[in-house]
Amino acid sequence: MPQLEASTEIDFYSAHYQDAYSRINAIVIEGEQEAFENYQSLAVMLPDSKDQLLGLAKMESRHRKGFEACGRNLKVTPDMEFAQQFFSRLHQNFQAASAENKVVTCLLIQSLIIECFAIAAYNIYIPVADDFARKITEGVVKDEYSHLNFGEEWLKANFEAAKAELETANRQNLPLVWQMLNQVEDDAHTLGMEKDALVEDFMIQYGEALSNIGFTTRDIMRMSAYGLSAA
Amino acid sequence: MFGLIGHLTSLEHAQSVAKELGYPEYADQGLDFWCSAPPQIVDTIKVTSITGQTIEGKYVESCFLPEMLATRRIKAATRKVINAMAHAQKHGINITALGGFSSIIFENFNLQQIRQVRNVKLEFDRFTTGNTHTAYIICRQVEQASQQLGIELSKATVAVCGATGDIGSAVCRWLDARTDVAELLLIARNQERLQDLQAELGRGKILDLEEALPQADVIVWVASMPKGVEIDPLRLKQPCLLIDGGYPKNLATKVQHPGVHVLNGGIVEHSLDIDWRIMSIVNMDVPARQLFACFAESMLLEFEKWYTNFSWGRNRITVEKMDQIGQVSVKHGFRPLLV
Repeated sequence: MPQLEASTEIDFYSAHYQDAYSRINAIVIEGEQEAFENYQSLAVMLPDSKDQLLGLAKMESRHRKGFEACGRNLKVTPDMEFAQQFFSRLHQNFQAASAENKVVTCLLIQSLIIECFAIAAYNIYIPVADDFARKITEGVVKDEYSHLNFGEEWLKANFEAAKAELETANRQNLPLVWQMLNQVEDDAHTLGMEKDALVEDFMIQYGEALSNIGFTTRDIMRMSAYGLSAA
Repeated sequence: MFGLIGHLTSLEHAQSVAKELGYPEYADQGLDFWCSAPPQIVDTIKVTSITGQTIEGKYVESCFLPEMLATRRIKAATRKVINAMAHAQKHGINITALGGFSSIIFENFNLQQIRQVRNVKLEFDRFTTGNTHTAYIICRQVEQASQQLGIELSKATVAVCGATGDIGSAVCRWLDARTDVAELLLIARNQERLQDLQAELGRGKILDLEEALPQADVIVWVASMPKGVEIDPLRLKQPCLLIDGGYPKNLATKVQHPGVHVLNGGIVEHSLDIDWRIMSIVNMDVPARQLFACFAESMLLEFEKWYTNFSWGRNRITVEKMDQIGQVSVKHGFRPLLV
């Protein structure tokens, strides 16, 4: 039986690590900022849930500040230009859906795809993070589960009406996520996060969310792997 | 509710099963994809005991493939096992058997250190390796199949390959305590563990494989390795009973000779049909009735409501525990596969 290799020590202050961290940290900060804006848009679209959604938006804003502190702690300047470019297509898709008042598509992008990806990435990051960032991230990941839960509950309650739009939105947006992941594969590796682990954790979280909403195992296997091999 | 964590035997097998079940997204994919694939519940199972009691279970496909070990994708292999366990627990399964390589990976890579999986804290008393029942069934196969072939155990030499493993050591203990086997040959790679086992038993000859096989009337093969081993049937005794209790089972296709009887070890037959699809996928001869004894252990624990990790850790299987699981195995209608 082969043996498990000892994991190598991470030097958080090496130039190589900090270079990679400048992009990953920026993505996280930008992701939280966009989440803040997206929940504010959703609050307008779903007036009945306005207070709850504004509450979620506020949490995302707090997360952004936490991650900015993580960058400062390692004396890294986040590459925000890269991060905005990184999110641009997903951002455009959300904006377009929001303009057409497509609540289901907006919820799929923000509350399912982005939240599931954040949860997967944070969970994979926690064991390899520096002490400061670990504490911050542990706090954040707990909140993200509640954000995911909002989307799940709403889509579950409106499952029959939302099903077709969810399938379409999944086809439009999930391939973007795989491409985004490929774009930062090397940087994530430098931080000690493996791509296959990230993909697996995402598919687990996303599959669970789809299952809670009402999709069958067969739907889930099809939807959660959509576009992965082509990316 | 009981659970079974299983996996397929090779990438090729996985691709063909995915195709057959109608999952094209999985069917065309290579090993990289399977390294990222999440666990899935792919079958629900209903089992009726000969007592009339009925229980329900779920089959969790871990998406582990033996190629992950062969190509040193160790982290992926360990993730498959841990994630499948978390999946089973999240679905409220009371007792789940770790089938195939799952328990071997769990033990070998010390996965008991990993308790927290995302937002799930693993409760290990919800899982069993199933090794106690497997060891019991293999011992009953030695006793009953040798009789079928006219091999008298009181005059026979039994070689146990993989003697120091969890199942192998339990088989040695039983053969020593419960049978009148004339001679026990102990074969394994680790000399220190072999000497410990010999000291514990107070008997048994330590030999290497080449030396031991030609002397044996019965060979119990319980070593598990990602790749099989070549055995030359012409060098074996005639008749010889070869019980293939390793995983995956591949000795029957490799050892074909009229005087050598190969029996799939650690396989049970149930007295009544089981309502499931999964055993035809793993190529059992009689898919509605035959299954791995380790899987049957989780069914037995569910029938008896013994919600505990009945088989856990390494080399802790006692003859008394084998008796205990053996009694309920008979009670509910399971019997060892024979020649």
